[in-house]
Amino acid sequence: MFVLQLAVAGIAIGSVYALIALGIVLIYKCSGVVNFAQGGYAMLGAFITYGLTSVGLPSVIALVLAIAVMGGLGALTQILVLRPMLKAPVVAVMMATLGILITFRAVCLLIWGPDQIGFPALFPIGAIELSGIFMTYNYIAAFLLSAILCAGFLAFYHYTPIGLMQRCTADNTRAALAVGIHVSNQVTIAWTASAMLAGLGGALLASLNGLSLGLSNIGLVAFPVIVLGGMTSLPGAVVAGLVLGILQAVTDGVLTPAIERFLREHTDIYSVGTLQQVIPYALLVLVLLVRPQGIFGTKESERV
Amino acid sequence: MRKSLVIAAFGALLASPSNAVSADINVCIWGTITGPDALVNGMSYGARDYFEYLNEAEGGIEGHKVHTVLLDGRYKLDEEQKNYRRCVSEENAVFINGWSTGAVKSLRDQIQSDAVPFMTDSHSSEVLDPKKFPYIFMAGPTYEQQILIGLRSAAKAGGKRVVIMHANNEYGRAPVEVVRKSGAIEEMGLELVDQIEFPFDTQDLTGQILRVKNIDPDLVFVQASTPQMLVVLRDAAKVGLPASLFMGNMYNISPAIPEQLGASAEGFRSIQLYADFGSDIPAMKDINKYGESNTIEKRDTYYMKGWYQGIAMSTAIRNAVKKAGGVPDDLVAFRNSVRDEMENLPSLDTGGITPVVNYANHQGPTQARISEIKGGSYTAVGEWIDAE
Amino acid sequence: MSLRQIIILITVALAVMVVLPGLGRYGAYIVYVVAIASIGALALNLLIGYCGQISFCHGGLLGVGAYAAGNIGNAGQDMVVALVGAGIVTAFVSVMIGLPALRLRGLYFAISTLAAQFILEYLFRLIEPWTHGVSGLLIQPAPFFGLDLSNDRGYAAIAVGLLVMSLIAVSRLLRTDLGRRFILIRDSEIVARGMGVNVARTKLWAFAISGFLAGMSGGLLAFTSRIAAPEAFEIALSVDYVAMIIVGGLGSLPGAVIGAGFVVLLPEVAQRIGETFGAATQTAALREMVFGLLIILFLIHEPRGLNSLASRAVRRLRRTSGPLSNNKRSSASDLEMTQARL
Repeated sequence: MFVLQLAVAGIAIGSVYALIALGIVLIYKCSGVVNFAQGGYAMLGAFITYGLTSVGLPSVIALVLAIAVMGGLGALTQILVLRPMLKAPVVAVMMATLGILITFRAVCLLIWGPDQIGFPALFPIGAIELSGIFMTYNYIAAFLLSAILCAGFLAFYHYTPIGLMQRCTADNTRAALAVGIHVSNQVTIAWTASAMLAGLGGALLASLNGLSLGLSNIGLVAFPVIVLGGMTSLPGAVVAGLVLGILQAVTDGVLTPAIERFLREHTDIYSVGTLQQVIPYALLVLVLLVRPQGIFGTKESERV
Repeated sequence: MRKSLVIAAFGALLASPSNAVSADINVCIWGTITGPDALVNGMSYGARDYFEYLNEAEGGIEGHKVHTVLLDGRYKLDEEQKNYRRCVSEENAVFINGWSTGAVKSLRDQIQSDAVPFMTDSHSSEVLDPKKFPYIFMAGPTYEQQILIGLRSAAKAGGKRVVIMHANNEYGRAPVEVVRKSGAIEEMGLELVDQIEFPFDTQDLTGQILRVKNIDPDLVFVQASTPQMLVVLRDAAKVGLPASLFMGNMYNISPAIPEQLGASAEGFRSIQLYADFGSDIPAMKDINKYGESNTIEKRDTYYMKGWYQGIAMSTAIRNAVKKAGGVPDDLVAFRNSVRDEMENLPSLDTGGITPVVNYANHQGPTQARISEIKGGSYTAVGEWIDAE
Repeated sequence: MSLRQIIILITVALAVMVVLPGLGRYGAYIVYVVAIASIGALALNLLIGYCGQISFCHGGLLGVGAYAAGNIGNAGQDMVVALVGAGIVTAFVSVMIGLPALRLRGLYFAISTLAAQFILEYLFRLIEPWTHGVSGLLIQPAPFFGLDLSNDRGYAAIAVGLLVMSLIAVSRLLRTDLGRRFILIRDSEIVARGMGVNVARTKLWAFAISGFLAGMSGGLLAFTSRIAAPEAFEIALSVDYVAMIIVGGLGSLPGAVIGAGFVVLLPEVAQRIGETFGAATQTAALREMVFGLLIILFLIHEPRGLNSLASRAVRRLRRTSGPLSNNKRSSASDLEMTQARL
């Protein structure tokens, strides 16, 4: 029962991880860029939603508007920052996305201040209790919404012309160019979609956990997720997000207490600190060493 | 190659402008203006505002304007160290007011060798010792005393099993370790069934709260700041634990808690050391007067703490100036004299923010009471208790 | 680096040391903070700029150096012993972190260093006997070659001296076979392998040398701040260091120093400017915003960093003013340029 309750909490958070990771994978597939700013987009999306509700808009409309704004912003950053950097080395591009993250945090700090903010309720407050397991509407909504979006997103990629073009671009840029696909537009579309996903993920996360600048840290948690999922696999990112969410919850609720109980009985060590912060990364190192292409990824051959 | 020149030039560039500012009395404050603890930064604003108020209302201290610098320590140790250096050697502060437990603990020897009066915002017992740290002054009961006050209330209510949760920084971990190792918990007839550490910039504590739920204790004392308390109480509501199970220390009396959590904050208790913002006391009249022509950044009990620290620091400075018949030219002598006057403050009236205090013990007020959220606002439950 | 450049370097360093007594404590502090950061940036530039191994755990490595130096110093050893010891310990840890680089490449390796950063942060908080956990390890002042230099000016002299030595050492190293192999691996690992370079061993050497310098830098940081605490070595520090070498110029020795100066001083300058206007929250926000935007602008418009910008400007200046001197670059104009950018 206890573990089930932990799993419920883990799945709710994990489905948000999945949304964020999906965005990172999308961009990476299309352009080979690792977007460290994804957490920043999530944070900004949540702040914009909050800003719109605080001028009197109903929360659902605010959310939709915010996601649209985020889409525009994603396209804009791609055009303004990433396009001029096509030939730059990988580390420079990574650093540019970090620059975007730093700038976004500064903007939010300037406008909304450093304090934690109560986020408007997107979903009804309250909870249902299912045979001892406590599920808030927030949890259920976050999970359902993420699930629907992930599914819709994967379907879009597989069954629509734009999705097909995106996959072409991701698969082989030169071939895509040869058959007449405007590759940089496809990359812009990927950034747009990714920023929208992040914005939604951020708003969901804020409705679960409240809103502050710390929200942008989710971007860093998403990295173990995408590596576990295999960098280029969209379904992989979703599954890995859920796995990681559950793993963290179980670490907090079961693993850490068990280890600490053991240590307190048998040694002088009293605490193992905040284990859940390193578990994802320890797992990441392990996976990278055993199976560098991730659990769902395919092995890339090296280009000369 | 040329960089050393660049550096030297910059050093000179940076050092020159602020040396040019000459004020008779310099006071240097650093808080957490941005950073994970910014919600309780009222205390650094309050202290700064009190000195500004003195400048406006009385033309400074004994006719000398006070030049106050407010810096941002960002709740980061290296940043705070930098601020301290700047306060001592560049701003030539006669009194410094600094922030985190980690910083004050690491600076305590340096404060001693620099011989500069230091008002700590941290209430760690490890920096309070009139003999070993004669330049460090505190603003109320230590964290350790507060934890004991909280636990004692649980023991009185017939509780047996308690859990302590704390953040994974010096402020969070150290006082809890001191209390646990002292054996005081067992002396009260309580059992510490678990001690849970969490990241101080945490966003989600559901797993830890479920761990608490699994143990089913009589009281959970949380040694953390307001932002983390918000996470604790919110996640407790998520899994159906009542707020009345939790108790916080002096840094959890923020209006943000009932505002953001609404009904799920009802029954949460914390330790109160200073009067509420807006209560009917003499100091509030001055604050309101100051607020007519200035913005007051945070309207909470921490602002009151800062205001009171301003009263204490300025009184010591005033006495030193009076004694010397003006601001001494020798900064070393001035600092030492301020320290002596601080220690000898004769029953200081803090305008009702705290009971009358004296600083022979370097601690100031030692009284506290428990405050509970009822109907969306903090209400005192029970009388002032002397922490000693 | 030619002999003349070395002489210039040493002269300038000596000049700084002569000027030091005239500097205030705060001025000396700024000098050594920049010098220490420069050594750290040099170490990272060796790894990323010359050997092409992207690392996001440099902050953690500095931490390892700080704790190692602190523990050795507290045991009563001379500061020199402590710094060398810190270098060796950190070189070892750096090689451990570099091991996955034998299997992983580029991005995947970068992410594995991200993991290393978080694991190091966690260990700093956990291994109480060595690190004193969250309290931080308090560090006693140690003599330097038996001399008591434990004040801000003394530290500045030590830091500038070590920086000069590191610059000379690295520039020499880059001219050896090993140094050339680093660059070959950066440009193409496959070509390097084809030419018979032992890629694995060469990479590990890069990690070891970079780690050694990082350890010394961290050690100095520990002695100067008299504490090593986990909060000081978080991911943000790693990001700062990557920013330093990119802003200064990837694969450029003066670039590491210029970048370090830029990243360390920018917040100070922004802070000072902001203070004249009041409003502390806005100051902090603007400081961050300027930092973020400048990084982006640099990457787009000046991908080779401040160093190349400065030398280009100097060349232009010389073209307009005629062939004044045969010196490759003049220090004064370089200085002006850097200031103009700031």
